[in-house]
Amino acid sequence: MLDREKTILAINNIMEKNEIKIQELPFLNKINLRLNPNNNQHMSICENILETILPIQSNTYSQNKKVKSIWLSPDEWLVVYDDDDDDIFINLKDKLGDIEASVTDISENRTVIRISGKNIFILLSKFLVLDLEKNLSTQTSCVQTLFVKVPVLLLRNNKDNQTPEVDIFVNKSHANYIYNLIIDGTKNLDF
Amino acid sequence: MFLINCPHCGERDQSEFNCGGEAHIVRPKNPLNLTDDQWADYLFMRKNIKGIQFERWNHSNGCRRWFNVVRNTATDEILKIYNIGEKAPQIEGNNPKTPSGEPIIGSGNYSTSFEKKQ
Ligand SMILES: [Zn+2]
Repeated sequence: MLDREKTILAINNIMEKNEIKIQELPFLNKINLRLNPNNNQHMSICENILETILPIQSNTYSQNKKVKSIWLSPDEWLVVYDDDDDDIFINLKDKLGDIEASVTDISENRTVIRISGKNIFILLSKFLVLDLEKNLSTQTSCVQTLFVKVPVLLLRNNKDNQTPEVDIFVNKSHANYIYNLIIDGTKNLDF
Repeated sequence: MFLINCPHCGERDQSEFNCGGEAHIVRPKNPLNLTDDQWADYLFMRKNIKGIQFERWNHSNGCRRWFNVVRNTATDEILKIYNIGEKAPQIEGNNPKTPSGEPIIGSGNYSTSFEKKQ
């Protein structure tokens, strides 16, 4: 057997043993939203269209069945929703205008790698300077940081009693790099 | 390496931030009236203090916001973090005296001298 095949088998075994799953999510619409959080009119327009609030609390996100609105900075949010609902972008753009707010379609900018499994915090910690236990402590936590050298947005997806599941939002051009690093990191996971 | 307490995101590693150099440098109101020396002074000359320095920092891999930091460049101790646009606070800090008695201004010491190579 080739060395490469042996390695792949070994990695598969480790991943199976630890129930680690990695997948790239299918295409999601993403909108970068910038507006003044003190503008109540704009905030309520967004709330009506998205049917969820824009979180003011740093490093959190809010969601309903189809939309996630993620805090990026005090006046910036990332809105993520499924492919089939095109109205959100058009509605936001129409109702908010482009003078005091900005609505930008950045769907193609980032892709999402979803990783789940009971020991993924240990696995991901190999590449992060961040304390995941602290920064992804609640059900609606998200955090922007560096993954080795790549800027990423990490989003915790699981409830407290479920297996940990983290979405990694990353530039498309860096996705392969991150994926390979994670696979490489599983080689010497010895827990 | 040290930690910086971002006013928006909380405590994060320094690698997520970029330093934007000295804070509180005001752009001259009438650049056309300045001599070349005065203009160069505004553009290029920075204090580079060994000790307590007022700096601008950007959380470039987080919220991407600018803020001001008072940092002791000799010890990397951060004494205060405040918003852009605020006045420089009065800071009393312990400026360590180096054994060799290096000057506070300038990153090098007396022994560093510039000699033209032939
Ligand atoms: Zn920040």
